[in-house]
Amino acid sequence: MATVLRSRCAFARLFAGKTGQILNNSIDLGIKSAPESLSATSVTRHYSSYSKSPFADKITEQYNYEIVKNPPEWTYVERLLPFETIPQVKPKDSYPSGWVPPKEEASNHPYFMRRTKNHEVPIYLNLYDRGQRKITKLKRIEGDIWSMNDEIKSLLEKKANKYVETRVHELGTFIEVKGDYVNELKEWALSKGF
Amino acid sequence: MGSRQITEKSLSMLRSLPRISLSNLRDNPGSKKTSKRGRAQHGGDKHGAGNKGSGQRQNYMRLGYETGNNPFYLRVPQEHYYRGHHLRRQYPPLSLLQLQHIIDKDRVDINKPIDIASIVKTGTYNFYPDQKHFGINLTDEGIDIFKAKINIEVQWASEQVIAAIERNGGVITTAYYDPHSLYLLKNPKKFFESGQAIPRRMIPPPDAIEYYTNPENRGYLADPDKVSEERLKLAQKYGYQLPNIESDPEYSMFCERKDPRQIFFGLEPGWVVNLKDKFILKPKDEELLQYYSA
Amino acid sequence: MASVLITAIKRLTITAAPTRVYSSVTNSVATVSNSSLDVTKKEWMFPPAYTKPREVWIENMDSVEEKKLGLFELHPTVFASVPRIDLIHRNVTWQRKYRWISWAHTKTRAEVRGGGKKPWPQKGLGRARHGSIRSPLFRGGGVIHGPRSGTTHFYMLPFHQRIYGLTSTLSAKLAQDDLHLIKNLELPSDEPEFLKDLIENRNWGPSVLFVDDTDIAPRNITVATDALPHVNIMPVYGLNVYSMLKHDTLVLTLAAAERIEERILLLLHAITKDKEAPFKLDQV
Repeated sequence: MATVLRSRCAFARLFAGKTGQILNNSIDLGIKSAPESLSATSVTRHYSSYSKSPFADKITEQYNYEIVKNPPEWTYVERLLPFETIPQVKPKDSYPSGWVPPKEEASNHPYFMRRTKNHEVPIYLNLYDRGQRKITKLKRIEGDIWSMNDEIKSLLEKKANKYVETRVHELGTFIEVKGDYVNELKEWALSKGF
Repeated sequence: MGSRQITEKSLSMLRSLPRISLSNLRDNPGSKKTSKRGRAQHGGDKHGAGNKGSGQRQNYMRLGYETGNNPFYLRVPQEHYYRGHHLRRQYPPLSLLQLQHIIDKDRVDINKPIDIASIVKTGTYNFYPDQKHFGINLTDEGIDIFKAKINIEVQWASEQVIAAIERNGGVITTAYYDPHSLYLLKNPKKFFESGQAIPRRMIPPPDAIEYYTNPENRGYLADPDKVSEERLKLAQKYGYQLPNIESDPEYSMFCERKDPRQIFFGLEPGWVVNLKDKFILKPKDEELLQYYSA
Repeated sequence: MASVLITAIKRLTITAAPTRVYSSVTNSVATVSNSSLDVTKKEWMFPPAYTKPREVWIENMDSVEEKKLGLFELHPTVFASVPRIDLIHRNVTWQRKYRWISWAHTKTRAEVRGGGKKPWPQKGLGRARHGSIRSPLFRGGGVIHGPRSGTTHFYMLPFHQRIYGLTSTLSAKLAQDDLHLIKNLELPSDEPEFLKDLIENRNWGPSVLFVDDTDIAPRNITVATDALPHVNIMPVYGLNVYSMLKHDTLVLTLAAAERIEERILLLLHAITKDKEAPFKLDQV
């Protein structure tokens, strides 16, 4: 329903004449301003948009329209509305982007790493001290976190040929590894099926 | 299977501890830092304002002033080559790798045409129309691994990207959206809830018309015959066999394009969508129909 | 572990405190044998990946003595998450503070009565120079950075901290045997005595919070809880950490438990960018 909006503002200013310095919005509204209303207590209204203010008068002209109930184009509307939840991934033959889906056998281990809501492996690199300090964080761990810690430590120490410091946080269900081992740990996690 | 599993351990610990109530809660140690006001020599005394001068007397010099020498903001001269840079159109990039990720994770339906609204809906791409962002710039990162047959509509694409998409049997179009239309596409739900009629999409400004009428860029205003010619040329240039889309069962989907004055797929300008009651109000008046179909 | 479960199944009409069935390994054993047990196996929208779902007895409300009507599965992400006491604390502090307005008020040197005149000349007297007797240096003078009436302490706790506060509290309640499930809020009589005896008999804490799906409760329970200030009914949308901790026992109807699970899991798996954005006072 489209309505054409017209302004009465210009007319009001003509009537006010040379003397008329419109002090408040009362003239625009067509109200005769009594002496009391020009006092300090009267407040000028500020309107959020022109179309919703009384400056724009709605004319009675109405345009013809039809209401289509359960229209066939409703699928297009639904396609535009946001997701209720992030969609689950249907299994495919291959994932060219390099994304690896979680496997069933992941729950056989004494520990487990849950995927994020975007179906990614929760291993992150945090940088501190202007990039000098790199800490790899493995989040969302369930099960026996200490045995996972032992495995990770031995794996990384073998690869790096040096001592690898880790921090196990049971309540926060994460393990922090000192150093940048994101790629190695992601590989390991995917090999376990997480 | 006891206490080495962290969830079971913590929950079974709770069973032997007193009931959690309002009177035995605590935050982590070190979470609250009580800052005391400064007293005496260190922190008190001059309260961080130094000695004498404009600093202590709270009568500061203007920002950028360097106590008399030529300040930095005046020292560096203007360069005319970047005049108006803040007014130029920007196209935030979306790489083919990101697009492949989105497709692999089923966030977008490949069996329907993809436009900027469906990409923003995935939640992985952000653009801000109020910051002179005019749409998606499809970049060539991930061009080697891209393997999806899609009907996509972006705002800017280079030759290699067009080739990559057409090589897989897909279709790419570049289309212009004016900022108001972009707001609608970014958050269609908010627009439908406002109860306004879907407006017409504006035509590109003079400096963009050339880009969008060029069949090499697969512009939406270009001649379709010339576009198919260019498809062949590109296939020959990059050395791949151009797949025959006509024989594809999804041919009608690949042919779906938006009218130059249309913002949303399937919804014409002038319509008002009622989300709550699920109906669409369509204008019947001659004047309006003429206006919206212009 | 297995023997406890089997004896629990045998004792169908139990009068003592109910036993929790923690099904970490022996999940299958509990649910198979007895046919009069009403076991609801759910189809999860977000199936639990590793931690096993919790199984809770459904209890009756028609008699003072406890009768077990069946078993109900609860999602581990909501009812068996690692209980974060610090998040619970933050939620409680937030609930206490965000609505509180401090009405304490002190007058500044401009507001204190008097002090417009220069008390004595600038020079000549040998006294310190002053401009007004109500300056903060004076006894009876204004306060500098004192409390000003109507100070709000509103802030919004981050979205996920509120969600995990709820899951931690629900998990803690379940772990400490303070969570019970009932079919609905239908009571046989509207006597507050009946509820009192029931709570006493079943060893539920003196204060009980009943949570239902809708905000209209049946007549009997409304009349009964009206007389008892420590027993309260609440709809699901009013569920909050403070109330759950204030009441010793939490009793959920099946519909309420389903709804809580549904809402929390939906929010944990949705795109929450707008919810994580800074809170605007005019937002819906």
